[in-house]
Amino acid sequence: MLGGNTRGKVLGSMSSPKTLLRVESLVKHFPVGGLFGPGDHVRAVDGVSLSLLRGQTLALVGESGSGKTTLGRCIVRLIEPTSGRVSFDGVDILALRGTDMRALRRRMQIVFQDPAGSLNPRMTVGTAVREPLEVHRIARGKDAHARVNKLFREVGLDPSLTTRYPHELSGGQKQRVGIARALSIQPEFIVLDEPVSALDVSVQAQVINLLVDLQKARDLTYLFIAHDLAVVRHIADRIAVMYLGKIVETADVIPLYDRPLHPYTVSLLSAVPVPDPRAQRKRVPLRGEVPSSRHPPPGCPFHTRCPHTRKDERCSTEVPKLQEVEPGRWAACHYAETPMTLGRGA
Amino acid sequence: MTALLRVRNLSTSFATESGLARAVDDVSFDLEQGETLGLVGESGCGKTVTALSILRLIAEPPGQYGEESRIEYEGVNLLELSARDLREIRGAQIAMIFQEPMSSLNPVLTVGSQIVEAIRAHGSESRREATERAVELLTLVGIPEPGRQINDYPHQMSGGMQQRVMIAMALSCRPKILIADEPTTALDVTIQAQILDLLMDLKVRFGMSVLFITHDLGVLAGIADRVAVMYGGKIVEEGEVHAIFERPAHPYTQGLLRAVPHIDRPTAQLRGIPGAVPTATEWPSGCRFHPRCSQRIDRCSTETPPDITTETEHIARCWVATPAGKS
Ligand SMILES: Nc1ncnc2c1ncn2[C@@H]1O[C@H](COP(=O)(O)OP(=O)(O)OP(=O)(O)O)[C@@H](O)[C@H]1O
Ligand SMILES: Nc1ncnc2c1ncn2[C@@H]1O[C@H](COP(=O)(O)OP(=O)(O)OP(=O)(O)O)[C@@H](O)[C@H]1O
Ligand code: SF4
Ligand SMILES: [Mg+2]
Ligand SMILES: [Mg+2]
Repeated sequence: MLGGNTRGKVLGSMSSPKTLLRVESLVKHFPVGGLFGPGDHVRAVDGVSLSLLRGQTLALVGESGSGKTTLGRCIVRLIEPTSGRVSFDGVDILALRGTDMRALRRRMQIVFQDPAGSLNPRMTVGTAVREPLEVHRIARGKDAHARVNKLFREVGLDPSLTTRYPHELSGGQKQRVGIARALSIQPEFIVLDEPVSALDVSVQAQVINLLVDLQKARDLTYLFIAHDLAVVRHIADRIAVMYLGKIVETADVIPLYDRPLHPYTVSLLSAVPVPDPRAQRKRVPLRGEVPSSRHPPPGCPFHTRCPHTRKDERCSTEVPKLQEVEPGRWAACHYAETPMTLGRGA
Repeated sequence: MTALLRVRNLSTSFATESGLARAVDDVSFDLEQGETLGLVGESGCGKTVTALSILRLIAEPPGQYGEESRIEYEGVNLLELSARDLREIRGAQIAMIFQEPMSSLNPVLTVGSQIVEAIRAHGSESRREATERAVELLTLVGIPEPGRQINDYPHQMSGGMQQRVMIAMALSCRPKILIADEPTTALDVTIQAQILDLLMDLKVRFGMSVLFITHDLGVLAGIADRVAVMYGGKIVEEGEVHAIFERPAHPYTQGLLRAVPHIDRPTAQLRGIPGAVPTATEWPSGCRFHPRCSQRIDRCSTETPPDITTETEHIARCWVATPAGKS
């Protein structure tokens, strides 16, 4: 493995599974002008709390616009949250300044949603992977060159591709370059923002397997953002389901897929295509579209689309709290104790 | 019974700086009345070029159809039709919806006026009749408050709503065939499920035939009657949907199936297909899949594999596929 210099400091405290990341009541509002006048806000992230153990993968799933990217970017502090706390390995990162923040940046990386858009079209992909090594003064010259070649091999790319420009690579290859770039400075934690959504299914599987292997080899911790529950089952330990800026359910993978507690999770699961013509699942239809995060509905943000048979007055007036319904299982639904069932069968 | 649409020996190539790109190469298939045929394959395998060729929408040059190519619709070869007769067929008989709704909707016209145009292009309706029909169509595809939304511009709608508008436009002249090129790929799974349900419901109501293009084999399990698998500009396997999913005979189809994440089978390790689709100017010799194939034998790299009928109505083009009756 590449040198363990950034690791040394934390090794001592790694004996038991330990919380690496803790997010508390995180809020990110974007001010919007125009039609609704000043003072109006998009509540992109609206009071999110979560924690992540070292070496684990937490998958963040939800529809387009639910705030996944915004949350991921706040966590690595690419954007400043409106309020809340983010602590990484016990350090309150929102309080960090200058060199302290720069030192921390080395330990957390992000792989962006769009493999093409995140690479500079005028820079060879080899240079793109080498750049962070030089910026963080990790390696130069021959040493940097050797490291880049090694990283390319590690992500399954032929080192001869280092001299190519992004447009000369396929989508899967570009995504691997993005991963190699994120890995170059040996982070402990990576936010993977829909790293496979733009890829062919056949390539998707390769990239997922690569991420799993890298995680094992380097003891990485992932926040894996996705909109599809089928893919994340193969990589995540724990899942957090987001809707309109809020987490509506969180649980370990197996119980969540076996018996989802929130009706939104039930709908999301039932919408995943089943690749077996004989085992088509009954769909739990989700009417309409995600409401605007400028004007989220009162009460439960999901009530306008909720298929739960027990939905009533209370849902449209009283905000359900995210509460621990069963040990380790949290859901924000008034009727989480009597969940809907996932229809299966012919 | 003869098929509604018969594609025979379709070859479509493009002159490019790096040589001739043989995007579609000797492709034949039938689309029967009322059936849904799924066309699946990775990016760059020729799915879109096949769809565009059916409607003769390929620009010539740089594109070119092979001499043997025939697109027979109701007994007429569309590739030999006059431009005027072809316009009568496009939209009215055979309609197409594209992967990116935004790129095929006009940003400066309201969605209503675009649907009205589509209706009037082929029919004799007055503007008022066409507007009423546009509202009906928007209702049909599940747009809330269609009377109001008809005055919206495309950018005021979400991706899912735009795709519904595209479907409404495609249905405006009650086509017999709908070609849907990855109509849900850009959408959320929840919206994808809604659009698939809608398409299948409309297919039955209108008695249409659907050519459904996707790179995700998983999607086809719930909607297709038959599946054609495309690799390297050729159809490498074709069969009834159960046969393809339960008894895939071509190593490429087997690879695609293994790559589909199974929500009900979490322990099964995902397996991709190593390597990538080559560019259309550089197809490998012999079986075009051979450089990526784990089952290849010597002759695969030099000789084009024959059509092997593995069971009734199930064909695979592969040297290692087992013909029916042998095992
Ligand atoms: N810079 C910004 N200014 C204003 N609004 C923003 C900004 N960034 C995001 N938003 C809004 O915040 C909400 C959440 O966006 P975000 O990109 O985090 O969603 P997402 O869950 O990642 O969606 P997707 O699946 O489409 O990537 C959306 O309504 C979006 O329009
Ligand atoms: N106008 C063109 N000029 C040159 N080559 C082209 C042209 N259009 C398509 N091709 C090539 O033909 C091949 C097939 O392209 P096509 O768009 O049909 O693929 P596809 O299967 O639809 O892929 P995707 O899943 O990415 O949409 C590709 O190699 C592509 O680069
Ligand atoms: S013909 Fe050979 S190379 Fe091609 S798919 Fe069959 S076994 Fe593989
Ligand atoms: Mg996002
Ligand atoms: Mg295409």
